[in-house]
Amino acid sequence: MQIFWQSVGFGFVTASVLAISAVGLSLQFGITNYINFAYGDFMALGAFFTYVLNSEVFHLNIWIALVVGSLAMGVFAVLINHVIFSPFARRFKKTFYVLIVTFGLSLILLNLEYSIWGADVRFFQMPLAKVMHIGPLLLTRYQLIVMAIAVALMLGVHAMLKTTRLGKSMRAMADNTTLAMTSGIDTRAITTITWFLSGTLAGVSGTVLGITEGNLTPASGELFLFVIFAAVIVGGVGSIYGAMAGALLIGLATEISAAFINPAYKLDTAFVILICTLLLRPSGLFARPGKA
Amino acid sequence: MPALLAENVTAGYGHSPIINDITLSAELNSVTTIIGPNGAGKSTFAKTLVGILRPTSGRIVVNDVDITRMAGHLIPRHGLVYVPQNDNVFKRLTVRENLEVGGFASRANTAARMEEILDIFTDLQKAVEKKAGFLSGGQQNLLAIARALMVDPSVIMLDEPTAGLSPAYTDVVWSQIARIAKLNTAVLVVEQNVERALKHSDEVHIFVAGRNHVHGAADEIAGLDLASIFLGRSHAS
Repeated sequence: MQIFWQSVGFGFVTASVLAISAVGLSLQFGITNYINFAYGDFMALGAFFTYVLNSEVFHLNIWIALVVGSLAMGVFAVLINHVIFSPFARRFKKTFYVLIVTFGLSLILLNLEYSIWGADVRFFQMPLAKVMHIGPLLLTRYQLIVMAIAVALMLGVHAMLKTTRLGKSMRAMADNTTLAMTSGIDTRAITTITWFLSGTLAGVSGTVLGITEGNLTPASGELFLFVIFAAVIVGGVGSIYGAMAGALLIGLATEISAAFINPAYKLDTAFVILICTLLLRPSGLFARPGKA
Repeated sequence: MPALLAENVTAGYGHSPIINDITLSAELNSVTTIIGPNGAGKSTFAKTLVGILRPTSGRIVVNDVDITRMAGHLIPRHGLVYVPQNDNVFKRLTVRENLEVGGFASRANTAARMEEILDIFTDLQKAVEKKAGFLSGGQQNLLAIARALMVDPSVIMLDEPTAGLSPAYTDVVWSQIARIAKLNTAVLVVEQNVERALKHSDEVHIFVAGRNHVHGAADEIAGLDLASIFLGRSHAS
């Protein structure tokens, strides 16, 4: 029973990391209508920005480095959109072409990270964490902070989307871009802000992934990308709330399954859930009609 | 000066123009309607006015401001709003949120304006928290018009606002159009139904093959051989 509760605790931690990354990916998809296959590399790059600030150059506290590194990743995502994605999206109306560009960018970023930081496993500079009992769950202080960050970000994204002018503009644009433009919404500005938010969330999720896993490599994000896709598709592609629900389901299922079967099959659990969802409810739990 | 003036406007997709050298104006407190056969360029003209398409020549002036090269999202701030024929509401947003988004381009108090709009469109009052996608087709069209009115525009451009509606709801929409025109607004309507257009409009323009073939007061146009005009022949009475 103790193993079960421990795996539930891990499940919540994995779900937290997944939720941040899946919401970042879904926000960007909702506005641009194409999946960014370089998102895993955005995560790793964001984590390395934090790593540089925390371990290599400035030796900042990990949480301050996380904020600065993630914001830097947000700015980087905006630049990538302006220099690469936007020109392609303007030129080619079919999103398929931009999809191929995201694949290409993924390879470029991955190799860029390898050339700068090498293939060695890196570690954040953090003091050893105390283990705490929260009811039946056994969690470290860092894992609790990661969960708190995820909850705070999910609540923040929800409040932003539901109550602010920016959030309503984003939802309107995700619904119908041309109508949003003719209604007076600056769709270019909203796209830029969305890339910033998506990139920042990629930076946060990449860093918290490194914190919870205890290490980071250039491939960390890419390996995790498949689980993020599973969460996004199970939740319903393009749905922010679906992404949150999908993250919770996949996070808990993969970690609880690891308590009873070989942990090497964790990814397979995610794919079994994904395949079952695609068979029974192909549009996902919280489907958004009208999106590709 | 009319509220809207389009002078010698030519526009289209790619390098092939769909509309050629079109000149048209719309006055405050009046309904101006564009009719014509399918493919005449009516919707293309509407999209050109509101910045979805760029004119290759000519100019568009709203309230003395040249909006010809203006970014599309800035045009509502200058008083010209657009209600497209299809997909004219944000389906996943509630009625209230649709109206709020419509008011983003306005500097006025959105809440107060929303009250005024809901007083005009009483059908929408009971559905303010409902997602727009769950409204009937007629209610969606009314919501689209209501959303456009949130900026208190001087010109409202409606692209086939009664397409696909029941005769009863068509009358409701046209009565609202007449009401809007009296609110110191120039209403420009693209319409397929010639009979209704002539009945409810002050001015009528007939587009044929991308050109403004004939225009005049509605009662003058009613006396013309419209079938011949639609087929591109000269307009004999």
